Amino acid sequence: MTNDAVQKAGVLAAEEITPGEHWTGEFLGFTLNLDTIIATAIAGAILCALGIYMARGVTRGRPTKLQVVFEALTAWVQGQVRDGMGLRAPSGVVSLAITLFAFILICNLLAALPSEHVLPPPTADVNLAYPMMLLVIVWVQVAGIRARGAKKHFGHLTEPYAFLAPSEIITQYFARPVSLSLRLWGNIFAGGIMVSIIGLLPAYILWAPNAAWKLFDIFIGVIQALIFTLLTVIYFSEAVGSDEEAAAH
Amino acid sequence: MTTRVLAAEETTNFLLPNATIFVEFVLFLIVLFVLYRYVVPPLSRALDERQAMVRKQVQDKELATRTLQQARERYEAELAEARAEAASIRDAARADAARVRAELREQADREVERIQSEGGKQLADAHTETTRRLREDVGGLSTRLAERIIGEPVTEDGRSTVDRFLAEVEQAPAGGGGS
Repeated sequence: MTNDAVQKAGVLAAEEITPGEHWTGEFLGFTLNLDTIIATAIAGAILCALGIYMARGVTRGRPTKLQVVFEALTAWVQGQVRDGMGLRAPSGVVSLAITLFAFILICNLLAALPSEHVLPPPTADVNLAYPMMLLVIVWVQVAGIRARGAKKHFGHLTEPYAFLAPSEIITQYFARPVSLSLRLWGNIFAGGIMVSIIGLLPAYILWAPNAAWKLFDIFIGVIQALIFTLLTVIYFSEAVGSDEEAAAH
Repeated sequence: MTTRVLAAEETTNFLLPNATIFVEFVLFLIVLFVLYRYVVPPLSRALDERQAMVRKQVQDKELATRTLQQARERYEAELAEARAEAASIRDAARADAARVRAELREQADREVERIQSEGGKQLADAHTETTRRLREDVGGLSTRLAERIIGEPVTEDGRSTVDRFLAEVEQAPAGGGGS
């Protein structure tokens, strides 16, 4: 392969991986990012298939490796929820946290596959990060209102000082949602940009940083799934309050 | 129908969502529902059952340990009791042996005393018999010997002298008489 050919191949690889660009389609006049939808459906199908396959053979005796993985995740989430909320944990929070972690993880791990130019990880699209964030934020508000009542839930914003309420409102209803969603999106999106930049390297050297980056991408994918899930549980804990707080009042 | 276009051209900013957000929302809700309905409950149940099983095993282990400890304590107590009982039996046996020994010694002493008494009586009888014979024999012999020496029959006085001497011998104590 001549230097020109190698350079062309590198440029081609870089052109194929274009973060922020999507395969789109029109439906009833709306534009849909088909690659994001397909990747989300694939990730969801993988998770559901693994979950149902595991659940069909679930046993209290000697568990399979898959069951051990799910059990480890469930036990970790249950521990976090129990530590933060105790018996006041709203029903469904454990399921939500498990789903968030597993789903985001699988979505992120799609970035580790050499299919980024066809199916980028759906978490690199705000169209997935936003709805997950919206669901969490709305659910947190509902859980807070149900646990402590609307007056106390919103009155909490004025504590300890009323003049700090605007800051608290911005934190609760703007900074947190934006950071929760854009942190995930930004990390995975940046991974795509890194791959496209690495793609500009000559083909004979490209494989080394690419392999290194893919490995690091896996690590980032796990960390981001963990952070999103952990923050979700923390937000719920703040809104609902722990057993100790409830007993103190 | 499917086209590839820059997101920037569609939305002018890739931080802004398009209609895909609704599809994504529904897809996520479906995944959440499946896990909430079909995956998490059996998993939580299995976890709870395993925890209960582990808890029960721990309780069983504690119970077994406690039972073993109790059995060991009971064994030690019974061993100590048996040792004490053995010691008391040994002491009783020693006491019995001492008592039997004392009884036997007393019995032997009595027997010795009886034998000594019988011996003394026999000795006294023999003394009496010997004395009686001596009186008969020695009296006659000494009279005859005296008659031979003097060459004439001994008078009644001489006989009475011999009889008196023999009476004195008879009245003398057995020990002194023997020598």
